Amino acid sequence: MTDNLGFALDGAWKVLTAGLILGAGLPLLFALGIRSLAWGAGGEAEVHESGVSGPKAQPIGTVLGWLLFAIVVAGIVLGITFIVASGFGKALSFEHIYPTIIDKH
Amino acid sequence: MTIAFVTQASVVLALVVVTALAFDFTNGFHDTANAMATTIATKALRPKTAVALSGLLNLVGAFLSVQVALTVTNAVVKIQNSNGTPKAALAADGGNALLLIILAGLVGGIIWNLATWLLGLPSSSSHALFGGLIGATIAGLGWAGVNWNGDGSKLDGVVGKVLLPAVLSPVIAGVVALVGTWIIHRITAGLAARYTDQGFKWGQIGSASLVSLAHGTNDAQKTMGVITLALIASGDWTDTKNIPFWVKVACALAIALGTYLGGWRIIRTLGKGLVDIRPAQGMAAQSGAAAVILASSHLGFALSTTHVATGSVLGSGLGQPGAQVRWRVAGRMITAWLITLPAAAVVGAVMWAIGHLIGGLAGAGVVFAVLVAFAVAVWRRSRRTPVSHENVNDDWDGPADPTPEPEPAPRVPAAAAVS
Repeated sequence: MTDNLGFALDGAWKVLTAGLILGAGLPLLFALGIRSLAWGAGGEAEVHESGVSGPKAQPIGTVLGWLLFAIVVAGIVLGITFIVASGFGKALSFEHIYPTIIDKH
Repeated sequence: MTIAFVTQASVVLALVVVTALAFDFTNGFHDTANAMATTIATKALRPKTAVALSGLLNLVGAFLSVQVALTVTNAVVKIQNSNGTPKAALAADGGNALLLIILAGLVGGIIWNLATWLLGLPSSSSHALFGGLIGATIAGLGWAGVNWNGDGSKLDGVVGKVLLPAVLSPVIAGVVALVGTWIIHRITAGLAARYTDQGFKWGQIGSASLVSLAHGTNDAQKTMGVITLALIASGDWTDTKNIPFWVKVACALAIALGTYLGGWRIIRTLGKGLVDIRPAQGMAAQSGAAAVILASSHLGFALSTTHVATGSVLGSGLGQPGAQVRWRVAGRMITAWLITLPAAAVVGAVMWAIGHLIGGLAGAGVVFAVLVAFAVAVWRRSRRTPVSHENVNDDWDGPADPTPEPEPAPRVPAAAAVS
């Protein structure tokens, strides 16, 4: 019982860390992407006083927004790769920083 | 599977296989909500499109699970050796002793899944399956037949693989979704909702798809393992490294069809009942759920998709300033979680006793007949207050309820449905 509790808390801690990085980190980037797009679009995308026209469009915001979306998509592709790889008895390794697919020990 | 001549044992085996596929089917519709409830509630996808997408991804996911899940029962009961073959004592006599335990366990799991579906409660299908198996094993082999704590070398046993993760995983998922929701709220403050909602709906669809795919790989495997165990016990299969291809196809189809059917009652509770969810919250909830499910399967931390999805929906309600969480609904749900394992265990044990007292083919047949009768009764009861893709998104407290009851989900206890 106490052994299991120790293992469980150990595992829970790791899951929480990974979950926060991926599960809250990617939405953070996604939200920043939407904010950038709105900045890029200007006008009605942001709440502003009625009667005056909205802020000016900033093309750089559009570029930045899509760049952020690309990072999020890369994160999702990594997630799918992980599911597929573990289905085939492989695992993702991060020992070279960039992810590589290796045999599961 | 080649059945040259019909023997008593092969009929029992067929009943076990059909029951296992039925469990897989209930597993599908019970868990559609985990991936798609929030997506349906925010209208990111139309209800029918959402369940079709989820069903398809479950099908794909099930085929991706190449690795053998033959030792799935070892986490909770001692009916298999560590290489996956059944214990010799149980495999004697055509494997009848083992087949009866599996059959009774599966029936316990299905009956609990049907009862909670009728009440619209998202309870864990894995807990129902494990509970049923534990009950049938206690009845058949005694307390010592259950793997309560493992051997202390790793997270194992009923405590390590079922109870502790059940307590921890909804909290973890809730914290992740809470943080995600709050961050999104802060970043997008001041943007027109019309503008942001469109973006978050796409984010929701993406993260919900990941949850569906992960569900297919995790949950279909369990049934594949159970069916293959039954085949080995009866002597129809010997390879412990592979599972028969037809088993994989049958399980993949069963879980995908179940998912496509959509457990609308549960989708309604999770999407509308707990929190009136908005696209940004939905995305945070599904991303949190996807990340927690993937991270834990990577780290070998067993958990239930249902607990994670529910925890993350609650978290997204807590993280959004001004959002209201209906704690009464949450309380009913948590109560259902607490009694899922013991309730399925009691049914599993009773089913084993019935099957054992009558004995042989007749015993297995009676157990199966009880299951069919219960399923028909639950289905007939559900027709009185139908929930479908048409009214799944109606206001929770509003006047759109089909009955004048204050709560949309019928509060009739399962026992009343049988009578």
